[in-house]
Amino acid sequence: MEKPYRLMGQASTDFWNPLRRALGTLPALKTREEGSISQPSKIIIHLRKQKYNADYDLSAKEGADTLAFVSLLEEKLLPALIYTLWIDSKNYVDVTRCWYAENISFPLNFLLPNRMHCQQLEKLRLMRGDPVLEPGEQLEKELCRDAFECMTLLSQRLGSQKFFFGDSPSSLDAYVFAHLAPLLKIKLPNGKLQQHLNSLNNLQQYCTNILALYFPSDARETPGRKIHAQPDSSDLDNEPHKRRNQILSVLFAVGAMLGYAILTGIVTIKRERPQLKNSGHDDGDEEDED
Amino acid sequence: MSLAAEAFVSQIAAAEPWPENATLYQPLKEDQILLSDSASSLAVQTFLRMCGLPVLVSCRANAEYMSPSGKVPFIQVGNQVVSELGPIVQFTKAKGHSLSDGLDDVQRAEMKAYMELVNNMLLTAELYIQWCDDYTATEISRPRYSSPYSWPLNHILAYQKQWEVRRKMNVIGWSGKSLEQVYEDVSQCCQALSQRLGTQPYFFNKQPTELDALVFGHLFTILTTQLTNDELAEKVKSYTNLLSFCHRIEHTYFKDRGRINAA
Repeated sequence: MEKPYRLMGQASTDFWNPLRRALGTLPALKTREEGSISQPSKIIIHLRKQKYNADYDLSAKEGADTLAFVSLLEEKLLPALIYTLWIDSKNYVDVTRCWYAENISFPLNFLLPNRMHCQQLEKLRLMRGDPVLEPGEQLEKELCRDAFECMTLLSQRLGSQKFFFGDSPSSLDAYVFAHLAPLLKIKLPNGKLQQHLNSLNNLQQYCTNILALYFPSDARETPGRKIHAQPDSSDLDNEPHKRRNQILSVLFAVGAMLGYAILTGIVTIKRERPQLKNSGHDDGDEEDED
Repeated sequence: MSLAAEAFVSQIAAAEPWPENATLYQPLKEDQILLSDSASSLAVQTFLRMCGLPVLVSCRANAEYMSPSGKVPFIQVGNQVVSELGPIVQFTKAKGHSLSDGLDDVQRAEMKAYMELVNNMLLTAELYIQWCDDYTATEISRPRYSSPYSWPLNHILAYQKQWEVRRKMNVIGWSGKSLEQVYEDVSQCCQALSQRLGTQPYFFNKQPTELDALVFGHLFTILTTQLTNDELAEKVKSYTNLLSFCHRIEHTYFKDRGRINAA
């Protein structure tokens, strides 16, 4: 969602805040006048009111084409993206869940990724109109087929142009880039969509071009997350937090066990009473006196 | 339909010619069918007429449950049952009848994109108006949808359907929209279609395609269906080239039936 701002030369806004996502409001744009705006279409309307409009030079027909291709993306490519990132078991467990859990603080890192996974599955079920949809090879093939067709159609429409409508970018370029860039950059174990995208040279070139033009710092860094299958490297990455968490959990467990033992009487604490010895001496003295 | 089943159906489809007794099933026309289903059904009928393929229309109260995907309409051709316009287009293509063969790659991409535009905006708006607008849902949608059933099943099914549609609207971000915003979206969609059509007779100049069938199905149904108010029809009427497009297709492909009786 940083894209339109970048296109118009604005500084980027930091939108990484999983707690806000927990309340379902990402992406969110904070403005001085209107507070927080959360839906992409509303954000674009707000920007247009501020006189930032990437579609200003488009003809009426190109504006119509924009609406049509955005609908194509939402109906054909988005379900497959949701499936690849959130529902496919290998990708979800190895990449998405780790990614979110590492960046969210305790204790939400245990709750939020799973909640988001359930929400995405529910969303997929409602979009497909099948309340008993189950993740599996069959569903994956159907979604991939639609997504491959969508990407091929986009590639055919783009042709050899720099952007969809000539030499300057428009909001359609922002939408297409936003949907394709994650596929290009995130290294997924199960990457059928990525393979198909890589086979479409002009789309790949198009994404790389936009990345270099509008996200130069990100293009220079190691792109995306390189996920290693071995757990050692992820352990090394998390070393300080993991050690601290281990010590805390051991202390908590020991404390809980001790408390239980004392309360149920398995372990009793007897206190020695030094006064008994002193009173014995006193009695002896008194007897002597008598 | 699963991919393996689809491949199998395509193979069988290619082998046999189109029979005379192909049947299209939809909910009851007079009492039960709603705007969105009527539009989808008309789109399929128009497409088949454009291909020159005969089909009988059969109205059944349980058409939705008979359909393999749960959506209407569906067609029965020989031993195969296919539902929704997209799979039906592929099915007829396997039998050697296609309207979009003459298009080049860019045009085909645009055609598919505009079909998704109609599904994404027009169809969703129709569903919203039917089920998320309380007045329309109470006066029209729930009574019509549940008319073939007796109490208490009629209430249960109607509310179940309403709840399902509302949940879908919630997920795709339409539940926060007001009715005026939905009408505005319909207007935007019609404007896009009008600009794409321009002064041409069909969307891809001289020959109609499945996009023309789909747009006609939805626009004609909107124009001829009586809802609680006329605002939806007025939005469409404000685009004169779309009106003449609808008249042209009705005159060309439905003249033998006189005026089409929409729900």
